[in-house]
Amino acid sequence: MNFTFRRKRISGILTVVPANVRSFVEEMKNFNFPEARSLKLKEVMGFDKHRLVEPGVCISDLAVFGLEHLFSRGLLGPSDLDALILVTQSPDHFIPPTSNIIQGRLKLKSDMLCMDINQGCSGFIIGLVQAFLLLEQESIRKVAVVNADVLSRKTSPKDRNSYPLIGDAASITIVERDTEDSRIHANLKMDGTRNEILMIPAGGFRLPSTPETAVLNDVGDNNLRARDHLRMDGSAVFNFVQVEVPPLIEALLSQAGVPMNAVDYFFCHQPNRFMLQKLADKMRVPYAKMPSNVVENFGNSSGVTIPTVITFNMKERLLKEKLKVCLAGFGVGLTWCAMLLDLGFLDFNNIIEYQ
Amino acid sequence: MNRPEFYQRLAEILDVEEVKAEDTLKDFDEWDSLSVLSVLAMADSKYGIAIRAEEIRSVVTAADLAGLVEAKQK
Repeated sequence: MNFTFRRKRISGILTVVPANVRSFVEEMKNFNFPEARSLKLKEVMGFDKHRLVEPGVCISDLAVFGLEHLFSRGLLGPSDLDALILVTQSPDHFIPPTSNIIQGRLKLKSDMLCMDINQGCSGFIIGLVQAFLLLEQESIRKVAVVNADVLSRKTSPKDRNSYPLIGDAASITIVERDTEDSRIHANLKMDGTRNEILMIPAGGFRLPSTPETAVLNDVGDNNLRARDHLRMDGSAVFNFVQVEVPPLIEALLSQAGVPMNAVDYFFCHQPNRFMLQKLADKMRVPYAKMPSNVVENFGNSSGVTIPTVITFNMKERLLKEKLKVCLAGFGVGLTWCAMLLDLGFLDFNNIIEYQ
Repeated sequence: MNRPEFYQRLAEILDVEEVKAEDTLKDFDEWDSLSVLSVLAMADSKYGIAIRAEEIRSVVTAADLAGLVEAKQK
């Protein structure tokens, strides 16, 4: 489904990562697997360091920390926000919405809209689409899109298909009106028939958590996982990305009338380096234009990976110039989304550590 | 498809000198989820086809796998 937005812009991006760095080599011992094969996995997938929260840390902690950082440095005024859109799959509670918890902890004004959206790997683009739609309202001048997930808390440390690549993080993206007559194009697609490819089977209302859902089962290849844990069918995801994402991006660019080589950077969701390089190969995009270094430095933090890849690789550059960028998110749902925009002259573009 | 070339690519994935048509894939130490993913990637980049992991898990020998790729190409 095509979307076009006029006179909207991203004015700042802040990524918050836990200070706690874990290394794959240390964690290899937890896997019931020959060391040589684990090292091969490291080499091919690009597993190395990842950032995980300490026990008990929730997404509202990361989000409040990031917003307070912006307030204290005068990069954002607490009363400036007319809407706070939180995109997460790991809320503090089922009830109330975590966006309301964040608003309350920061004592933001009551004349605003708080909204939780449950989306994962496409969550950055879906959050932006929602923010751009809200900005059509006269009363809404500035929106914070907060992406946050702490999925390590739902990932089995004995599942080497998931644990080595997972990361926890939050990001705050400020969206507002643009004084220039800019255009942003987006293309979103969904296929709920494949919803089980990425899921946490237990813990909701369909299958509440019990002592039985917490039991670790051998799910093949000596990987141990409970039904309370995140389950990723890696090979199905790989096929899905290779088949669906290149035509989506081609359709988006053709809708916008922009040739592939006019795009300065492709900032994609970061499942792992292997999958991104295969995607770049398929699209005939040079690796330098499609950074894939988030998993090896921070881990895959679901909807936060696109802000992470931008703030990590383009920290200084996007403060001083404007680039034509294509964003792409794909995964949980299944959903696959892409967005084309001019990004730059940001007020801030930074990564900070949560202590 | 050039079968010897396919078996050579398979050997590289499995970190062995040689893979023969009649070899049973499960007998290789290195036949695990990483290898399956590497085969999917190889089928996609070298032969332009998408195979599902379930389809790969149902094949027994290297020749069966080559046959699956050929069938998909048609």
